[in-house]
Amino acid sequence: MQPSIAPSKKRFSFDFQFDVMWLIMGAIILFLLVFQVFPLLYLVFRAFFSTGSFSLEAFKRVYTYPLNWSALRNTLVTATLSMFFGVLIAFPLAWLVGRTNLYGKKFFRTLFVMTYMVPPYVGAMAWLRLLNPRVGNLNVFLQNLFRLESPPFNIYSVGGLVWVLTTFYYPYAFITISRAMEKMDPSLEEASRISGASPLRTLWTVTLPMMAPSIVAAALLVFVSAASCYGIPSIVGAPGQIHTVTTRIIDFVYIGSQEGLTDATTLAVFLMLIANVVLYVSTFVVGRKQYITVSGKSTRPNIVDLGKWRIPITVLVSIFAIVIVVLPFLTVALTSITVNMGRPLTMSNITFKYWERIFTRKAIIQSAKNSLVSASIAATAGIVVSLVMAYLLVRTNVKGKRIPDFLITVGSGTPSVVIALALIMTMSGRFHINIYNTLTIMIIAYMIKYQLMGMRTVVSAMSQIHPSLEEASQISGAGWLRVVKDVTIPLIAPSVVAGWFLIFMPSFYELTMSTLLYSTDTKTLGYELFTYQTYHSQQTASALATAILILVIVVNWLLNRLTDGEFSI
Amino acid sequence: MSTITIKNVTKAFGDVVVLKEFDEVFGDKEFVTLLGPSGCGKTTMLRMIAGFEKPTTGEIHIGDRVVSSDKTFVPPEKRGIGMVFQSYAVWPHMTVYDNVAYPLKIAKIPKAEIKNKVESILGVVHLSQYASRYPSQLSGGQQQRVALGRALVAEPKVLLLDEPLSNLDAKLRESMRFEIKEIQKNFGITVVYVTHDQTEAMAMSDRIIVINRGVIQQVGTPTEIYQKPANQFVADFVGKVNFLKGEVKEGHIELVGLDQSIPYDGVYKGKVVVAIRPENITLIPNGQGSLKGKLLTQFYLGDVNDCRIDIGGEVIRVIAESESYGALQENQEISLYLKDFLVYEDDGKDDHTSIIT
Ligand SMILES: Nc1ncnc2c1ncn2[C@@H]1O[C@H](COP(=O)(O)OP(=O)(O)O)[C@@H](O)[C@H]1O
Ligand SMILES: [Mg+2]
Repeated sequence: MQPSIAPSKKRFSFDFQFDVMWLIMGAIILFLLVFQVFPLLYLVFRAFFSTGSFSLEAFKRVYTYPLNWSALRNTLVTATLSMFFGVLIAFPLAWLVGRTNLYGKKFFRTLFVMTYMVPPYVGAMAWLRLLNPRVGNLNVFLQNLFRLESPPFNIYSVGGLVWVLTTFYYPYAFITISRAMEKMDPSLEEASRISGASPLRTLWTVTLPMMAPSIVAAALLVFVSAASCYGIPSIVGAPGQIHTVTTRIIDFVYIGSQEGLTDATTLAVFLMLIANVVLYVSTFVVGRKQYITVSGKSTRPNIVDLGKWRIPITVLVSIFAIVIVVLPFLTVALTSITVNMGRPLTMSNITFKYWERIFTRKAIIQSAKNSLVSASIAATAGIVVSLVMAYLLVRTNVKGKRIPDFLITVGSGTPSVVIALALIMTMSGRFHINIYNTLTIMIIAYMIKYQLMGMRTVVSAMSQIHPSLEEASQISGAGWLRVVKDVTIPLIAPSVVAGWFLIFMPSFYELTMSTLLYSTDTKTLGYELFTYQTYHSQQTASALATAILILVIVVNWLLNRLTDGEFSI
Repeated sequence: MSTITIKNVTKAFGDVVVLKEFDEVFGDKEFVTLLGPSGCGKTTMLRMIAGFEKPTTGEIHIGDRVVSSDKTFVPPEKRGIGMVFQSYAVWPHMTVYDNVAYPLKIAKIPKAEIKNKVESILGVVHLSQYASRYPSQLSGGQQQRVALGRALVAEPKVLLLDEPLSNLDAKLRESMRFEIKEIQKNFGITVVYVTHDQTEAMAMSDRIIVINRGVIQQVGTPTEIYQKPANQFVADFVGKVNFLKGEVKEGHIELVGLDQSIPYDGVYKGKVVVAIRPENITLIPNGQGSLKGKLLTQFYLGDVNDCRIDIGGEVIRVIAESESYGALQENQEISLYLKDFLVYEDDGKDDHTSIIT
């Protein structure tokens, strides 16, 4: 009879699905173990067992060298200061944009968020041009304006480094804090107002304490990003002999000797330690304290009327946006069409030959191709992992599903230099795998560093689909695959696209890891740009940077359109 | 004196008018409820009284102070009002004690006095033993009491409540009704209460203001609202009702398409709508009464017998005594006696029936 067949068939398909899940999860874990956990552990091992048995020799040698001490100090000082200023800027901005009647707040929001997707070295290039101690445009302008004896700023200094780091990492804090503020139930603030507290007092006694965990998380994020940044200190710091841990690591690797590698490893372990502590604190200590205050019924946030301050504050924010965002981007764009950078930009001083060059020179095109291929593959593989992980995390109770989630989080929290160094040490034949000098090693590095962003996006979309939507399809007679095809995929498609770009973009213009992993055949766009900037032609580098900027803007606009403003990068 | 005077207030968000020419005075120590379907503008009215929204036109006075007008606007913190939010809005980073003490701290009251007042209020809302807990350790009902305590502690003359019970389960909701009402009487405060639940409104209010689509439909005591609804919307929204179309003839109303009529000597002429509440119909032996029909279905609900009766083309609902359940059979011919009914002019619109409550 019919009915007796149906249940057994159903059970079969259930088992099948279950096994496939295990298989895929196993594959993901294996990938992470081989290409992430093992290399990182080996790095630590190498630092302590440099001579074959346990010894702190390497540490002693590295840390008695004064240049390394100053690099360490510079890293800690610049990261701490950038964290401090970054949050100091981000919190008021997030509040103004999210909670007040500031003019043009939507525009400002988009502008600040977009900076997040611009490669940090673009900022370094721009500020170099603006605040060069002798010929920096802004320096000259200010010197003439105030009739100063000498130019007011010197970018080749610790202060200059902090400045550029801050202007490029405050968006991290801005995004984190804005998100938390959006999630906060506005009636919590209204309850304070009706209790007699002024808007400022409400900000102080309710908004700020409620946001404290997110502010700490944002601060830590800025700290660790600034500490592991290579692009900015290598462009801004190097000319002034200001070294950081990342630039030292890369210098040591470039020495090429075993000793150089050991020294690089030892410094990298220090950086890794910082990053891991920060990751631990922000997920397990601060994360726990996060107040869940999303209200059942969405109320519109109570918009604070800035009153007579509305115009002055809008002017202030505009000046900030012009100095921090518009000015540097414009500088880079203008540099790309300047013949002689020492002379003002007149008609005779304009040229498009650098633009022509970036679209014709073979080496550049080859590097762009390499970047396109490796970033596309990393993004596609990364999004497949993200989808599987999202399904595992949101829809199943598979034991151990948190393990790959945890590993992916750790991978992304690890500084780029550390990932690249660990891959070099382990994947160049020493352990029967030799993918050094290939695009594959690049792709793996990108995935480890960036797939978390894709995963977070897809997971959050998936958790917003109530299981009953899928169950309704199932009860209508659709099988497992059909449910996924008819219901799940259409609902999460926008976030899958967004997630793909979130992995693709930073991989596409990646610099730090590429600098360590490239070979003559596998140069990337970021590396190409960097060499032009430091050795050959700043104008060509600027043309490339401008092209990347345009790409960021276009992708951002496209995603916004595609997903009705729900997603942008 | 804490009357609330709302003078011809209109509120628009952009082009969308959500409240039209609201004009009403809430008396001192009165319990007034704004009742209406979701989206009709109740919360907006409440938020204008609190000072979270500005009226587009019109004025609001609390006591004899103008708090909102063309020229003046008093911000929420200067209005001296207590308010309970639908989502509780209890601060998760403060203990129960600190939550409740907050308004007093803002008012710079001496510490010892704060302690006395908070303890006494915590007693009123039955939370004395929870003073040092954090909200995350409390149930929804307890969080609600914290919010109530916080709203009352500064002894405001006016208390605003926005659907305070809608997130609680049914049992708790009923007991909280009485507590809120009790507190209002004991404290002698003016309460403006917002709900879409008509039984809640009936049980608690001195006066109810029924709103639909931003327009006041009727203002009255619960009995007036229930027994003399001003229009079909109110009749339908408050309680249950059967509508039948009819035409007034000499001394009676002919029901359209039913070949039946009911006696009538009121003022209306021409086309009308007859509104009959199901509990105002009595089932009597066949051959008597004003209407005839056939019993389609009956549902035994314990306290009553809920019947559907076909009166020759229209099905109406009748709520009969529960004993009738055993005595009646489906498809049985039956007569109906109307204890009471209402007649409205037929404006040709049927949209009142599309209200979802
Ligand atoms: N800040 C706002 N901006 C635009 N529309 C609003 C705003 N607040 C409320 N509305 C609209 O006004 C109408 C009335 O809302 P509300 O007063 O919250 O209704 P109720 O509380 O009766 O359910 C709704 O249609 C709502 O969408
Ligand atoms: Mg409401």
